[in-house]
Amino acid sequence: MNRRNFMKFLGFITGSTFLSSCGIDKGLRKIISYAIPPEKEIIPGEPLFFNTTCTECPALCGIQVKAYEKIFDTERGIYPVKLEGIPDHPINYGTLCIRGQASITRLYNPHRIKDPLIKERDGVFRSISWDQAFQTIISEIEKHKAEKRYNFFISSRTTGSLSLLIDEFCHEFNIKRLPEFEIYNYSAIRKANSFLFGKYSIPHYNIKDADFLLTMGADIFETFISPVSHAVQFSIARKNNNLKWFHVEPHLSLTGICSDKRFTINPGTEIYLLIYILTSIQKRKISSNIPASVGQLIPSLPLDILKEKTGLKEEEILLIRDAYLNSKRPLIITGGVSTRSGSGFEVAVLSGLINWASGSIGSLVDFSREENYLRVGTIEEFVNFLKTIDENNTGLLFLLKTDPVSIFPQHLGVKEKLIRARFKVSLSDSFNETTKICDLILPLSHSLESWGDANPRRGLVNLIQPATKTIFNTKSHGDIIIEIMKRKGKVVSEDFKSFVMSNYQKRYGKDSLNMFIEKGFHEENPSPVRVSFNEENAQLFLRKLKYPEAMKTPLLILSPSLRFFDGRSFDLELLKEIPDPLSTISYGSWISLSEETAKKLNISERDELEITKDQWSIRVPAKIQKGIGKDIFIVQIGGPINYSGMTDPRSGEILSYIEGINIRKTGKNVSIPILSGSMSQEGRGIIPYPIHRTENNKKHKESLYPEHKHENYRWAMTIDLDLCIGCSACVAACYIENNVPIVGINEHLKGREMSWIRVEPFYDEKDGIRFLLMLCQQCDYAPCEPVCPVYATYHNPEGINAQVYNRCVGTRYCSNNCPYKVRRFNWYPHEWEFPRDRMLNPEVSVRQAGVMEKCTFCIQRIRRAHDIAKDEGRSIRDGEVMPACAQTCPTRAITFGNILDKNSSVYKLSKSDRSYRIFEQLGTEPSIYYLGKRRGDE
Amino acid sequence: MRRSLVLATISCYASIFSIIFLSIGYYNYYHDGPPIQPIAFSHRIHVAKVGLPCNFCHVYADKSKNAGIPHIQKCMDCHRAVAVEKPEIKKLTSYWEQRKPIEWIKIYKLPDHVYFSHKRHIKKGVECSQCHGEVQVMDRVRRVRTLKMGWCVRCHRVNDAPTDCLTCHK
Repeated sequence: MNRRNFMKFLGFITGSTFLSSCGIDKGLRKIISYAIPPEKEIIPGEPLFFNTTCTECPALCGIQVKAYEKIFDTERGIYPVKLEGIPDHPINYGTLCIRGQASITRLYNPHRIKDPLIKERDGVFRSISWDQAFQTIISEIEKHKAEKRYNFFISSRTTGSLSLLIDEFCHEFNIKRLPEFEIYNYSAIRKANSFLFGKYSIPHYNIKDADFLLTMGADIFETFISPVSHAVQFSIARKNNNLKWFHVEPHLSLTGICSDKRFTINPGTEIYLLIYILTSIQKRKISSNIPASVGQLIPSLPLDILKEKTGLKEEEILLIRDAYLNSKRPLIITGGVSTRSGSGFEVAVLSGLINWASGSIGSLVDFSREENYLRVGTIEEFVNFLKTIDENNTGLLFLLKTDPVSIFPQHLGVKEKLIRARFKVSLSDSFNETTKICDLILPLSHSLESWGDANPRRGLVNLIQPATKTIFNTKSHGDIIIEIMKRKGKVVSEDFKSFVMSNYQKRYGKDSLNMFIEKGFHEENPSPVRVSFNEENAQLFLRKLKYPEAMKTPLLILSPSLRFFDGRSFDLELLKEIPDPLSTISYGSWISLSEETAKKLNISERDELEITKDQWSIRVPAKIQKGIGKDIFIVQIGGPINYSGMTDPRSGEILSYIEGINIRKTGKNVSIPILSGSMSQEGRGIIPYPIHRTENNKKHKESLYPEHKHENYRWAMTIDLDLCIGCSACVAACYIENNVPIVGINEHLKGREMSWIRVEPFYDEKDGIRFLLMLCQQCDYAPCEPVCPVYATYHNPEGINAQVYNRCVGTRYCSNNCPYKVRRFNWYPHEWEFPRDRMLNPEVSVRQAGVMEKCTFCIQRIRRAHDIAKDEGRSIRDGEVMPACAQTCPTRAITFGNILDKNSSVYKLSKSDRSYRIFEQLGTEPSIYYLGKRRGDE
Repeated sequence: MRRSLVLATISCYASIFSIIFLSIGYYNYYHDGPPIQPIAFSHRIHVAKVGLPCNFCHVYADKSKNAGIPHIQKCMDCHRAVAVEKPEIKKLTSYWEQRKPIEWIKIYKLPDHVYFSHKRHIKKGVECSQCHGEVQVMDRVRRVRTLKMGWCVRCHRVNDAPTDCLTCHK
């Protein structure tokens, strides 16, 4: 090296060290003052609450939005971080389902439509301003008016002021408003009720007052009408009237597993069983409300035929019959796959007859609180509309929050038919198959960014109010319609907010308006609705009753999805990350079949199958699943899997069954992320059954470590397995509350999921199918603690097995030593890119790569309770602290509290004779007590 | 031989340099001079001269985790009439007229994994100056404490405050 090079090197090194030392962060973070203080006082660091409505599914639960004021760069704003139920809301009573919990991620979805888009000549979308968008619509309306074309407006279910506004809009511009398009429109039930009782509506089912419930096909905890309401009521009925509940279904559903007894019936043969029950009630002679003129027409079925057709055993049939006859307030609910078959209408009518016969109509089946499905049409009506679209006479087509193109299979040509309309305007929040064919896309705000109201059922109005300003350049549907009308010179109202408010005032007066905004809903006692029994129709029905033919096997059942509803929630990443509770499969679709069927067809798990029927086909990997009948295949709706588009003309419903399918192995093997390590308890007595504590569980091992002292508090939890329905709402709540990252399918395939709480299904010959909620057991003698070389995990004075994230060096010893497998390791840094960073809970730190994380019993909530209690100079009250999982649980299966307090409910429950702890024989002394399951036959 | 000698010299030189600069950086980081704020607000004038108590402006100190900084409207309550001709107040007035928020530079910054509540400390009777120093003599506020864990824990031990990790680590 010569002198010159030496000097060059020296210069370079000096310069680079100098520059690098300048880069130290000097804490240049900003605090931004307000110019003017906001109207509603914001205390920095304290959460704000808004009461509004969940719009993820048509159930319309009341939600309380927790929001924080956050500063990002130069922007100071309020951002929602968590959704919880409004405590006294008459639908959900403070709880929320998995989809409701996850719906906050729809607000922060980076793939939302951010600007109004118009389709150019070359078929590419270009963003335009709202002003241009409105101008375009106005000029299109003018054009088609001049050329005398018909305009149409189609939407998903709308209620309240929005529905009224659409009426005015359609009237003003001479647009024909079509019946609302919903796949789950319950038209079989509505038609049956109209036929029997003269009410074309869905009644409110008072499950909480029943003492025996028989559900047939109705997935009351997954998608059926109002799942959270059903779960809440189920829990109340269990506690108050010791509800007994049987479920009859042709496939396997979450609801079925949760029932006391599940019966597998041959598909489409529900009618036989229903007639048998009806005959039995009639034979009893006492207390049947069905007049003799109708009663005598009920055919009597020999038990042999019944056995042969339904595939049920004699004792099973008698068990159902006796349970029904021996109960005081029985209720039968049919729906779901049972009414989406060729005999759906008959099933619905027969269950109506049974409810009438046992006197449940009016009390348990309440028409005065009927669900608001007034404007919802049937699939049949939509299909008929499609036929009328014509290039020459169809001008504008408005599509509000609806995606018919991806719901119907390609070969039916829905897309081609819709394209025929001259100008298609889509109002949507995300891109889907329908927005692709539209000419103009107007981006919709999330309901957390807009004003509105909802009218879920008779006598109940919910408020929708914004909890944040719009994140993207979007507008609410109400504001868009008002703006279009304004431009045409018709001023309905200044904006949608004032429209909603004036509607409320017109109806309920000015006095309660502030209360409405504060509370988030208004309930009035609806005037009673008396229904009369239409004897003639009942006679006609029974005379003409035809028994269905057996369905052709192999049979495919398209089942509604707990996670994706009818497919609408499929774009929420979080719902894909949380596994399906029955199979523990997270990402992707799969087809379930029994072991027997698999053997017969020589199919093994993960084999890709091609299922075809005429022009309809899907490709999915196989999953062998226990609890399914022979030659029956089940797929869940969502993403690429959709209904076949076939409808039943009498019930107007879409069909859930595809008979005589062709199955072909493609020869490919598809990896499916199955998160469960084992589907069997392997005889370890994880869920002891019947109620007992095994000898094994009583044995204690001496601990070498000194006893922990807990002075005032020791936090503990009880989980009642009798009430846990595996709905996974707790899992979603935990993800949102604790900033748990979403890692994606590739990590899941390696078994690296991040959820702190999980639902484990166990399938055992002897015990049947049972769910277990698994989360950190907060052991007193935690095996994870002594192995940590850096004291990152330790036992806290309040009994929490703490994890100090910035102390953790990632040896993962703790995880290896944990018998419950509840610790999660961050293998990579997780990106929280805009706008997802707005969603982060500021009270919980975001963990970096190389750090172990786990359930903390929601320490941030305990800390907050301590803070409030200290301010008031008292100790924390029982029930004051609610971890996110316990808070959202629709059945209140989870109880949390201080076990040192002898009056606390958690202490009392832990002393119950059903109480046990998992792997007690290990001597870990967990703080989580499980209450063993009771079964209906006990 | 000569080549390795040269390399050794270079590495020696580099390491000496890095040590010097890193220590300067470290010193700067912890004993930083006060940053220049968008408006040269003087705590000395407002506290020592005018006699305003801390919670006159930092209203949430005993109500929340965060003490809060005043909104401009609050500043303008006085400065519509007081010292209006001074250049810094003119700056303030122009912010006010444009309804533009002021981007103050944060001096006391805690890492994200720390839970700290002003309210709990104030309610226990901890003086503001114990952590923030004598702001009444500072024209430009600077940080006087390291805000390192050891410093927190020392005080917690002396005052018998909880030292459980989860008290502060979130």
